[in-house]
Amino acid sequence: MKLSRIGIRRLLQVSSALVVLGLLIEIVSLLWFHPLSFVLFAFVAAGLIGGGILVYLVSLVFVVGPAVNEER
Amino acid sequence: MIGILICQTALSIVVASVFLFRPSLTSSAGWKIVAFVGLCVLPALCLVGGMSAHIQRSETTQFCTSCHVMIPYGQSLYIDDANHIPAQHFQNHRVPADMACYSCHADYTLYGPLNDKMRGLERIYLQYVTQPPDPAAIRIPGGFKNAQCLHCHAGARSFEENPVHSPMMSTLISNQVSCLGSGCHDAAHDIASLDQQKFWKPVQ
Repeated sequence: MKLSRIGIRRLLQVSSALVVLGLLIEIVSLLWFHPLSFVLFAFVAAGLIGGGILVYLVSLVFVVGPAVNEER
Repeated sequence: MIGILICQTALSIVVASVFLFRPSLTSSAGWKIVAFVGLCVLPALCLVGGMSAHIQRSETTQFCTSCHVMIPYGQSLYIDDANHIPAQHFQNHRVPADMACYSCHADYTLYGPLNDKMRGLERIYLQYVTQPPDPAAIRIPGGFKNAQCLHCHAGARSFEENPVHSPMMSTLISNQVSCLGSGCHDAAHDIASLDQQKFWKPVQ
């Protein structure tokens, strides 16, 4: 399935969900004073937040892009 | 600093969650900007802030000694013996007491902090995935480098004018003679005889 067919709204929801989950885990890692808290932040929270940002940027490039071209 | 970062993260959660429940808001130009800030700018700032906070925290003595295998090393900082190098540095605040481990065990090179973090992750892997090492058997890969001592002591008058140090300065700088392992300052983290030691009790 092409990304443009998925729709920007669905991608925004996925992006938002990933970012919110990642940020919640970041808060947990900041409040938890344990050697594993760094691992939790670096591998789980950073991965989810980074993934969320990436999905958002992908939605801008692949979903909005073709629509703008069509208008022209 | 952690408090401010948590507030910033909570704000980011609020902004980002708007688009989880109402993605249709982005049809207007104003909300498009809010979406960019909430789903890209703020999370990126939280990521940078979180990394900075975690790196700063991992440099504290409290963090290092929160690992089970490091507890005896933390205890050895309180040994009541003027010849015990880590203890006298810690007790006399020759290194910042809250960053005592990091001050002497950081690799002071360009990619040193990154190497330290990788070594730390390797130890976490050993602790939780394979067999945790015996605390007394832990050794620094490649041995303790003089550069870590010289980072502070080099250039200090009391160090350079010392009649023992001055004739061998070049061999100390080139790491040919170890500060710790050459019969000079060899009392460091004597974990094996910890139960036979006297300990200093801080007033507080």
